[in-house]
Amino acid sequence: MDLISALEGLVSELQEGLNQASSLEALEALRVDMLGRKGRIARIMAALPSLDAKERPAVGQKANSVKERCNALFDARKTALEREKEEASLRRFDASLPGRTPWRGSLHPDTLVMEDICRVFQGLGFDVASGPEVEIDHYNFEALNMPPEHPARDMQDTLYITDTVLMRTHTSPVQVRTMLSHKPPVAVVVPGKVYRRDSDLTHTPMFHQIEGLMVGNNITMAHLRGTLTAFVRAVFGAGTRVRFRPSFFPFTEPSAEVDISCCMCDGKGHVDGGPCRVCKTTGWVEILGCGMVDPAVYESVGYPVDVSGFAFGMGVERVAMLKYGIGDLRMFFENDVRFLGQFVG
Amino acid sequence: MLLSLSWLREFTPYEGTAEQLGDRLTMLGLELEDIVHPYESIRSIVVGHVVSCEAHPQSDHLHLCQVDAGQGALLDIVCGAPNVAQGQKVPVALVGTTMPDGLVIKKAKLRGAPSMGMICSERELGLSEDHSGIMVLPDDFLPGKPLVEQLELDREVLDISITPNRADCLSVLGLARETALAFHLPLNVTERILQEDDGSPEVRIPIDIQAPDCCWLYAGRVISGVKIGPSPMRLRHRLHAVGVRAISNIVDVTNYILFECGQPLHSFDLDKLQGGRIVVRLAEPGEKFTTLDGQERNLTGDDLCICDAGRAVALAGVMGGQNSEITEASVNVFLESAVFRPATIRRTSRRLGLSSEASYRFERGIDQRRSCWALDRACAMMASLSGGRVRRGLSLSEPKPFVPVNISFRPARVDALLGVTVAPDFDEKSLVGLGCPVKKQDDVWVVTQPSWRPDLTREADLIEEVGRLHGLDTIEPVLPPVAKNLEDAGDPESRFAFWSRLKRWGAGLGLNEAINYSFVGHRDLDRLGLPKDGRISIKNPLSSDQDVLRTSLAPGLLHDLRNNLAQGAQGLRLFELANIFEADPLSETTARETGMLGVLLYGSRYDSAWPQVGEDVDYADLKGVVEHLLRFLRLKAPECVVEPVHPFLQPCVRVEISGKQVGVMGRVKPDMADAWLARKDVWLAELNLETLRALHDAVRLSFAPLPVYPPVRRDITVMAGYGLTVADIEKHIYALRVPLLEDVMLVDCFAPEAIKETEALRHLTFRLTFRHKERTLKDAEVDKLRENVANSLVKNLKVQI
Repeated sequence: MDLISALEGLVSELQEGLNQASSLEALEALRVDMLGRKGRIARIMAALPSLDAKERPAVGQKANSVKERCNALFDARKTALEREKEEASLRRFDASLPGRTPWRGSLHPDTLVMEDICRVFQGLGFDVASGPEVEIDHYNFEALNMPPEHPARDMQDTLYITDTVLMRTHTSPVQVRTMLSHKPPVAVVVPGKVYRRDSDLTHTPMFHQIEGLMVGNNITMAHLRGTLTAFVRAVFGAGTRVRFRPSFFPFTEPSAEVDISCCMCDGKGHVDGGPCRVCKTTGWVEILGCGMVDPAVYESVGYPVDVSGFAFGMGVERVAMLKYGIGDLRMFFENDVRFLGQFVG
Repeated sequence: MLLSLSWLREFTPYEGTAEQLGDRLTMLGLELEDIVHPYESIRSIVVGHVVSCEAHPQSDHLHLCQVDAGQGALLDIVCGAPNVAQGQKVPVALVGTTMPDGLVIKKAKLRGAPSMGMICSERELGLSEDHSGIMVLPDDFLPGKPLVEQLELDREVLDISITPNRADCLSVLGLARETALAFHLPLNVTERILQEDDGSPEVRIPIDIQAPDCCWLYAGRVISGVKIGPSPMRLRHRLHAVGVRAISNIVDVTNYILFECGQPLHSFDLDKLQGGRIVVRLAEPGEKFTTLDGQERNLTGDDLCICDAGRAVALAGVMGGQNSEITEASVNVFLESAVFRPATIRRTSRRLGLSSEASYRFERGIDQRRSCWALDRACAMMASLSGGRVRRGLSLSEPKPFVPVNISFRPARVDALLGVTVAPDFDEKSLVGLGCPVKKQDDVWVVTQPSWRPDLTREADLIEEVGRLHGLDTIEPVLPPVAKNLEDAGDPESRFAFWSRLKRWGAGLGLNEAINYSFVGHRDLDRLGLPKDGRISIKNPLSSDQDVLRTSLAPGLLHDLRNNLAQGAQGLRLFELANIFEADPLSETTARETGMLGVLLYGSRYDSAWPQVGEDVDYADLKGVVEHLLRFLRLKAPECVVEPVHPFLQPCVRVEISGKQVGVMGRVKPDMADAWLARKDVWLAELNLETLRALHDAVRLSFAPLPVYPPVRRDITVMAGYGLTVADIEKHIYALRVPLLEDVMLVDCFAPEAIKETEALRHLTFRLTFRHKERTLKDAEVDKLRENVANSLVKNLKVQI
């Protein structure tokens, strides 16, 4: 009988111990002492075989029920203590502490714009092509209907390597290279670096262009207008209006310059009552040059006379300046991280 | 091209505003750049009437004037000009007026006499350089009225940008033609009006054109008995409004006609022409010639000269010579009107860096059928302005008369190219309106080129004309069908797409993308000790900072480092993808362009201080970036081989994959980095994108089934001298080909302080991972394998365990 009362006593003893245990560590010590493999209940159980056979079942039963009750008491206390600990740690949590920030990268605005534009044209079925930046006069000028001494060469001040080798002044030589290596139909856009002998507030000696070329059967100026309208809406927003003004480029005819409604003043010419500095109150900003490919270009690449097609070219920095509101062209190549870091994916 | 509205109206009765005209011309392909207000700065100057004029009692040169400037009361004005006199009409700046030079007119007292304004000279008004006295106005001018209005000066002048194909629009006449067409107005061109002088003998100057390919027409006339003087006010002001300085009645007329009809003219002092004849010939190589601006020019055999019997007197189409120029003493004038081959003039003008209004027009093409008209019109004006007589006889030689091109024109082709239906009536009306005679046949018309449109020679040129008159902006936009060849399907990823992916990788990793100029200075390359062989120099660089194409991305990135340090940056993590350029005689372009990826790491590892630790980047950061890239490209871990000699990196590590070098990485030599103001280590990697692309393309990504049984791991810590690298130990372990060994990885590196450098040891802990494909491993067998590895390391690499 002693054993049974001893077992009974353990329950209240445990209850008391649990009430005093204020940490999970103390709780664990208590558990080992009471319920562990060599704990007090275990020790009593170990004494069972030496008991009288008649007593054994009652003590055994008692021991099991005490063990169950102790376990239950213990678990309840443990849950309570854990909840308390969790609540305490939540009270100490400060959501405004800085994060462990990984490096923050960025893409150059030219890259962002070139990717944007190429994506739009790829959606319309154009492939992306590229070509060398050091070019021969033939591809840069002659094959594009600009023989030596053509006044149109004045439009592009050129950096020369030798008399016949130069830094390409536009991405248009890739048009020629593409047509020489591909039969019609072709549809390519060509993003890349181009070079002019020009450096001031609004010109840098290197900048980026995207050239487009589509040649096939029955390609018309209406297709050119459709393609560029789609591009303008995709890059500058669905509400952007487009205007085609006749112009001149040696390698297209008819040629046009394309204006879009000014994104700064929404084509109104004025912002907050003052004149718009981007479009100089005209409501339009020039964005690219284009036209139907001149027959002389087809001739220089050996295309049949009955094909037709269009070409266009635009300055990437110009698009970026309009799209992101960058006022100073020279920032593009200074690579100040305070500038670069603003253009994230 | 500056266009004065009043001048335009002499040719066509345009009554609209400058804005309306500018807008319309813009949509016709003649882009309005700006509307200039040339006389805005003298808008408030009024006409005054000098009612009385007396000498100032306290001065030997000042005058006391009473002026009626329409202000009610007469104004007292003190004037110092020698020519001021009673009864004159003069320009007056009232008190409060701001003069063109910024001077504000105030009430003043001059030697005791009050002055309530200023009587102005032409120079003070910005009208000319004349400051010899005040400007005296015609008697019929009304006091108090604005000067600009009384002089009928152009309030607005259109600045129109003329594309190189529109030579015809480099004149008032040409723009009037476009204006008349646009607004359906008549074009009034005076017929030839020339009174030759019947009283004196005929003069014909013999013209000997020895270079008929280069000079297509040469005409001239003689005007005798001219008196050189200033041109009348109206003519001077008209030239002034389009930005031309007035010189004398003879020279001003040549400029006037140039702007009016686009034909450049040149006036010679006939008495300075030796032998009374003109020879047009190519220069002797090395011939020297002094142009009007006083510069001696060295000529080549490509330059065309106008000569008299003995010497060159003008550089054809570009500039006259000092030896034959009109001076105040000139009495007899030989006036030239010629047409030269555009390419000849352009070559000379470009080579000499000498562009004039004349050469600009000759380069683009002249209306040869108007040359004699222009000559006659100029002669008539000169005679009436200078009191001279136009002598009978036109001197003319025309080796290559203008022959218009007859162009086959298919109205159907207009629709096919523009994508709209244009009525044949509209085609005809447009072409006729442009001055093209049209012979209509069924499907193919014959359209004749007008003499003033050198740009119209092909059907495409005519379609462009019809298009711009129809309005390109009215064509309904349509998306084209997809134009692709089936053969091109399955082409490899474009270079742009591959680079794009790498840029996304770089930005995603946390680097900032930079773009630098492709050119740097030879000096920059020298400073980094890069080889001089194989560099590609720019022949005509803008500056010595940009005189060679870069052979490495390092100078650009270091330049960016300096820029950012100057802005106070503490750390920098840049990357750039760009070509480097090396001479390659086998290349069509003489250049080999190689795509490179550059990475620069510098300074603080993290931008934020907490919870990061404030440390600087080191080799491990750079190597980590490089390894990350290779992993991104599906390539295996590289071999890193120390390169003992590199121009600017030390240490320098060659990055190799399967024995192929893909680039280098290392620390920029501190003494070199110093030149870019770096105060800490600069870590830089340059990788060859062409090699990486080839390696990447060769990798086939394929799935490896996941292991079924768990791995067992065992660590070995060795103590090894510094000569033994981690790679040496790993390589040794792998070479043992221990069965079931899956992976070896360094997990700890500890370097206790050593007393002697030679005895210094590192404690390196490697974790070996074992796995069996078909069953769970037992501890005992793994322990045995680990033991084998440990023993081999001790035995063969002499390390301690």
